[in-house]
Amino acid sequence: MERKVAIVSHVQTKHSSDIGMPRERMLFNLVKELHNKVGITRHDVDSYVLCSNDFEAGRTISTVFEDTPVGAYMKDETKVEMDGIMALIYATMRILSGQFDTALVVANSLGGSQFRPFLIMEYQLDPTFDRQVGLINELNAGAFQARSYMDKYGLDEWFLDAISARLLRNGAINPYALRSKDDATPEYVASSEYYYEPLRKLHCYPFSDGACAVLLACGEKAKELCEKPVWIKGFSNSLETCRLGERELYTSPSTKQAAEKAYKAAGISDPANEIDVAEISAKFAHQEPIICESLGLFPEGSAEDVAKNDLAEITGKMPISPSGGGICTYVFSAAGLINVAQCCQQLTGEAGDAQVPNAKIALAHGQDGFCAQHNSVVILSSEEG
Amino acid sequence: MAFQMGEETRTFPITWDVSANKYKIESRGLRILTEGMKDKKIRGIRCHECDTVYIPGPFYCRKCHIEIDEVVEVKDTGTVMSFAVDMADIRGNPLPEKRISAMIKLDDCDAWFIGTVENMDWKDAKVGMRVKSIWVDEPQGKFSDIDHFEPI
Amino acid sequence: MRNVAIIGVGYTPVFVSKRIDVSIAEMANEAANAVFRNTGLTIDQIDAVVQGNMQPFECVNLPYLWASEHIGAVGKPVMRIATGGTTGMTTLMCAYYHVASGLYDVVLAVTWEKHSDGDAQVGLAGIVTPEIFTMVMHGLDLITGRGMGGTSGGSTGAAAYQALSYLHHSGADPEHIDKMAALERSNAALNPYAHLRKKTTVEDIQATPFISWPLRYGHTCPTTDGATACIVASEEKVKELTDGNVAWIIGVGSCTSDPCTANFIEGQITDPAEQESCRIAAKKAYEMAGIEDPSKEFDMAELYDGFAHQSLMYAEKLGLCKEGEAHKLLDKGAFNIDGELPINASGGVFSTNAIGTSAMNRPCECALQIMGKIEGEHKIPKKIKKALAHGWGGLFQYNSVMVLSDTPKKSS
Repeated sequence: MERKVAIVSHVQTKHSSDIGMPRERMLFNLVKELHNKVGITRHDVDSYVLCSNDFEAGRTISTVFEDTPVGAYMKDETKVEMDGIMALIYATMRILSGQFDTALVVANSLGGSQFRPFLIMEYQLDPTFDRQVGLINELNAGAFQARSYMDKYGLDEWFLDAISARLLRNGAINPYALRSKDDATPEYVASSEYYYEPLRKLHCYPFSDGACAVLLACGEKAKELCEKPVWIKGFSNSLETCRLGERELYTSPSTKQAAEKAYKAAGISDPANEIDVAEISAKFAHQEPIICESLGLFPEGSAEDVAKNDLAEITGKMPISPSGGGICTYVFSAAGLINVAQCCQQLTGEAGDAQVPNAKIALAHGQDGFCAQHNSVVILSSEEG
Repeated sequence: MAFQMGEETRTFPITWDVSANKYKIESRGLRILTEGMKDKKIRGIRCHECDTVYIPGPFYCRKCHIEIDEVVEVKDTGTVMSFAVDMADIRGNPLPEKRISAMIKLDDCDAWFIGTVENMDWKDAKVGMRVKSIWVDEPQGKFSDIDHFEPI
Repeated sequence: MRNVAIIGVGYTPVFVSKRIDVSIAEMANEAANAVFRNTGLTIDQIDAVVQGNMQPFECVNLPYLWASEHIGAVGKPVMRIATGGTTGMTTLMCAYYHVASGLYDVVLAVTWEKHSDGDAQVGLAGIVTPEIFTMVMHGLDLITGRGMGGTSGGSTGAAAYQALSYLHHSGADPEHIDKMAALERSNAALNPYAHLRKKTTVEDIQATPFISWPLRYGHTCPTTDGATACIVASEEKVKELTDGNVAWIIGVGSCTSDPCTANFIEGQITDPAEQESCRIAAKKAYEMAGIEDPSKEFDMAELYDGFAHQSLMYAEKLGLCKEGEAHKLLDKGAFNIDGELPINASGGVFSTNAIGTSAMNRPCECALQIMGKIEGEHKIPKKIKKALAHGWGGLFQYNSVMVLSDTPKKSS
């Protein structure tokens, strides 16, 4: 990599279950906020990478009316239809190619008010079998995965409650979070109703409306545009089979593969010690330990120890999702990009009460598919290095 | 050797339930337009920077990327910028009557609006011809208040 | 900047209206297998996989999650692109940027569409579903289509406005559309991978009924089932893996304007036949490729023409001829396979439209012509040095342009 790419700025909406405005206005306001924050106009951006989902938007080619509100009129624009973190990865490649100096990545979804995400997930099933048989939905697949992890390591449901409680407390200090409770305890989480045993309501993600925009630039340009660029040091992604029966659900080999490549690019050999903070896309409480363990941040099967010893707390040894993660907010198509934005806050020291002291290297994660079938990892650093 | 298609596989119906979507639509411009139509007036929104007049008016100008809100009234006469003579419906079935649907640029505005042009032979229709709106007797504040357009 | 080349192309064995024997994923697998067969590579040599299609046409959300294992993408970095009609081209561009970024060396791009699994008109109407609902709520009469705000027959109706506006500004006659249609259908008859393969005369086209004057049934594209795969590689890998007979991607450009049709809610301000975004995309691609006079330097062009008038229109917008000249060149026979500037020797999108693949088949056809690996009689007799591929999509708002060449750009 001859060129370096950095994040200049980022904005996100105050996520909610109903944002109360049309998508076009949400995007326009968001991008305008970013323009004002950086002091640029739409003409200062070379390339636009959008991310949204046709089924969630209820529209074939979901971006047809999203281009102009984000300022892409007569500009180079494309759409990645995956998790938002993949749009960031594509935008980074575009800048690395040397053809663009700046790129704006915008991901959005009205999954809270406009559509039911569980239904979008149902449309993802293999149409020739799983979708016809009708036995699998996102919740029971999540429950299979939770059960698989508990069974493998001989755990009971307490660790799920503890993870959700920690995330809900983190959500209370994140002004953008949808769901939060500043005094959440495992008992509080355990009092919520079962969706699919062992998964309770507060172990699952809430349907969220929201959007996130991240402005990227090549190294020189980023230094011109802002004081504290956040450097993209490495990234990768990988995929597993869609057939749940062929997967070991208690672990995530695709996360492992993606992380290996991303760590190599970023020069990280000991992730647990070198990474200061991680934002994980866990749609269900049990996915957080599964993904963190595959990322090498915690030993395998350690979910209960981590929770008991407060290792994943903001003040802990390895802070995980200080923003509250997927249990507080999960914006379809944008979740991974929001994680990137949260990591940037940590690295520039703007995270307020959620600030991890001296955070220098952060990991953002994004996922797609049933039981986190597709995983992406981005390593960010406050130092150009 | 020519390709031989294999045996037919089983097919299953799957559905895309668009009614599961609850669309949010920016309605200010539509409201300004349709409320004006009650009084046989056509109103749009002008961008104060580039003077583009949109009908229905969006909340932002896509060229200048700024919020706009200046309501302006435009004439109900216009010029045909392009047209099509509909002879079949969306499924390809022939229509009983040929229908001229035209893209009309109303005077004093920049927006192209689709309307049907009646009282003329379709073979005489031309790009650039002038048309006027024919309103219904008792407008309701709906698009159907303009019954059709006629050549001037 | 790194040089990137298309080193091989693979199609499904046929492009037809209904593949009864395979699923979407199996069809993608056929195309991937074909490109491996044609290049002699294996999936292990692929660093990353890029996929694209228009998911609402088949009603499978994020089909890459399902189809990836059918093309060997499990365990590899994947990316999914969807931009409407330009999906094929933007997917290939994404593969191009994968390599150009310096991060990957050999990337597989796979696109597909299986229209027979869904309903294309419903899929297309789905682009503006909320707008149509809103208009009906505000008094649009959808049944008779009368009054203000009415619209005519689906995508053909929308294209008819574009066609007439183009005819008006260029001075061409509706008969020129018939002629272009007959030319492309006859080209398709020579192409084993085309869908509508019947030698067609102008009279045959004129015998078809009008849907929306000036567009006839014979001016519209079919809906096709098919998949295309393509492998792109860096210059070092080209030396290592091939005999050097490859097609270099020397210029890429894409641009979006605003929706130029059915923009019922935000107000439509753009003539669908203006296509400024096509000019901007072309300018960018030509600058990158070092093309100074596009009317002289290209040996062939593959243009995206869902409707027959678009070949003529885009030839002008892309600078292949002056404004208002395309129909004169058509009359002179310049666009024939043995002409000065063969356009859509493959038969174009107009004869084969599996939407996800359509915009990728354009550069792939150019690449095959450059490499001289065309299967079928639509091989252009002269040596192809520089070729132009184009795609449009959305509500006439997206345009992508790619310039291909038989020699790489000199490294700068």
